[in-house]
Amino acid sequence: MTLLKADDITVAQGGTPILHPVSLHLEPGEPLVILGETGSGKSLLAQAIMGTLPRDLAARGRVVLGDHLLDAARPEGFRPLWGRQIAVLPQEPWLSLDPLMRAGRQVTEAHHLVRGLGTQDARAQAATDLDRLGLAHADTRYPHELSGGMAQRVAIAAARAGGAGIVIADEPTKGLDAARRDEVADLLLAELARGGGLLVITHDLALARRIGGRMIVLRAGRVVETGPTAAVMAVPTQAYTRDLIAADPENWPARSRRPAGAPVLTATRLAAGRGGVRLFSDLSFDLSAGRILGVTGPSGCGKSTLGDVVLGLAPPAAGRVNRSAGLAPTAFQKLYQDPVAAFPRHRTLGRTLADVAHRHGQPRDRIDTLLPRLGLNPVLLTRTPGGVSGGELQRLALLRLLLVRPRFIFADEPTSRLDPITQKQVIDLLRDTAAAEGCAIMLVSHDPELVARTADHVLSLAPAKTGGDLSGQAVKRAGGLG
Amino acid sequence: MTDAVMIPRRAGHALRWTGAALVAASLILAVVGPLAVPGDPLAQSLTKALSGPEPAAPLGYDHLGRSIFHRLAAALRLSPAIAIAAVLTAGLAGLVLGTWAAARGGWTDRILTMLADALLALPGLLLVLMVLAIVPGTAPGFWAGLSLVLWVEFFRLTRAATRAVLASPAVQATRLLGFGPVYVFRTHIWPEIAPMMLTAAAFGTATAIMAIAALGFVHVGMRAPTPELGLMMVELLPYWREAPLALLSPVMATFALLLGLTLLAGSRDT
Repeated sequence: MTLLKADDITVAQGGTPILHPVSLHLEPGEPLVILGETGSGKSLLAQAIMGTLPRDLAARGRVVLGDHLLDAARPEGFRPLWGRQIAVLPQEPWLSLDPLMRAGRQVTEAHHLVRGLGTQDARAQAATDLDRLGLAHADTRYPHELSGGMAQRVAIAAARAGGAGIVIADEPTKGLDAARRDEVADLLLAELARGGGLLVITHDLALARRIGGRMIVLRAGRVVETGPTAAVMAVPTQAYTRDLIAADPENWPARSRRPAGAPVLTATRLAAGRGGVRLFSDLSFDLSAGRILGVTGPSGCGKSTLGDVVLGLAPPAAGRVNRSAGLAPTAFQKLYQDPVAAFPRHRTLGRTLADVAHRHGQPRDRIDTLLPRLGLNPVLLTRTPGGVSGGELQRLALLRLLLVRPRFIFADEPTSRLDPITQKQVIDLLRDTAAAEGCAIMLVSHDPELVARTADHVLSLAPAKTGGDLSGQAVKRAGGLG
Repeated sequence: MTDAVMIPRRAGHALRWTGAALVAASLILAVVGPLAVPGDPLAQSLTKALSGPEPAAPLGYDHLGRSIFHRLAAALRLSPAIAIAAVLTAGLAGLVLGTWAAARGGWTDRILTMLADALLALPGLLLVLMVLAIVPGTAPGFWAGLSLVLWVEFFRLTRAATRAVLASPAVQATRLLGFGPVYVFRTHIWPEIAPMMLTAAAFGTATAIMAIAALGFVHVGMRAPTPELGLMMVELLPYWREAPLALLSPVMATFALLLGLTLLAGSRDT
């Protein structure tokens, strides 16, 4: 029996269609993955199926949910089914749990209020749920006392407490590192194994691969390709899908090693901490022109702090960073995770770039020669940072750095907010920069595949230790450096 | 600020234009009025005391036979002039000290913030009165006292906004690219705080005019026979039955000016 069937769902904003007719069906035991870039309409599709679209968007189409027949144009009809038939897994569980309520109570409440169990039964059922998810000991803890993974499991238990058969997970791995991502995928699959349906919306190819089932690829509000996930990933039939899959770091060709140039910096027995917690210690490496040093590690392990120390923005707790003699003070530059936040908000990009060129005595036409090299349209220069896409802005940020002729670039998660295809473009440009400009690059990423395929050497930082263990080897060195 | 709590753009524009029109009308009356109908705000002619409007005195005469129109025009030049001078001084001081405190941090920041908080703890009018007692001359006294009261707001706004801006990646990037503090101020700090400063300046001008009028009304501000809004009101108050227009003129003028400034400040959509 089909759990959910949606026919010809469309979404329009003020008469302009932004999602073209999409039909899908969800079978018990078989997950459905909707894959697409930001702005492809994948979240709109899910919201149309649930009746949670923003007011200014109008949906059309027919949704069959179990034995209910619903009209997507009338979202109020969906309301009684929320929690009872359809459950939504929140993106960031820490933000969706009540910070003032213990974990057990949050699940009990859902059993009591949504499913309508008596207080005692709800209590017992919640305890059973938590036990099944391996959270028996977390019953009396507050959300801030839970790890991210535990919070996610509590959120799943609460979301499913109403008895919903269908779970919709919208970008469940946003901002998670690889290990946590797999944990979430396994958790979703375990829930699926208990019966019911699973709809996962993501732009993360690794998650899609792990979830399996069937797949719908969306682009600009249109279905590009559908089919079994494994088959689509292995033999994509459409050019766009091929590009998308080729852009997955796992499918990148490995970088050929280049000869090292002149040394740029040497770090000796570096240590640093934040808020009284020692993040790393005894960290030594050196970096030569043209080389890329990848830095990986779970969030909060001190990757950005390491960058600040190397750039001279923060003092190290111990050890020192030596720049090679004769380098200009501006030879060390940084590429930011969020390019919008790295530009003056109210200035046009053209003026900002012209200021930088002027400050460093570069001729005005250097900007014009760099623009096509980075695949940028000169029209963008007339806009302010808010009016340019993330990928374009990150390339403009790179252009801004190149005007300074840097010897070293610290790239702090430069692509973590970009779509796979844009990510590949930006990383390729970084690689070209290292080769063409003879620049040393420190590339930080939470994606070990990306780093492994891009960097000449990899530095893996271990999770920060809380407590007094300062002498322990917090850093694992991989590969010979320099 | 979210859209939900913002005055809708169109209404905001209408309010701002109303405010600008009210302020402009007061200033035109103050500057152009005496040119169109020449007259002396201090000339007395007791035979005409409290008599009604006539061509030489469009708003009639007060209890000493002085032309209300010319006294009002003079008052509408005096108070805004003192207020604007005080706001300019206070704004400049607040901007410089606020930026300095935010940029330096540490003890500089702590001492300046403590000073601002201490001033904030004193009632503003009391502070102005104390300065008036110390500084010779009433107008310079008002200017000094009001500047001393008003700079705190500019300082706090500038300091809070500048701290956030200076901690942003955008400023870090600009510094790494080799730019100095002047460029940082020009491209990052000023565009962020300029709209706030203009709003605070409009409110500050209204506060200052109000303070001058309030102290005039209780006879501790401007001295007679200087034409001043609060002083005119209290002088004409006993004659409200005989000459209601004479009393209403300064009241309406003050109201229009303050409402105009408040609308101008409050409707700015930032």
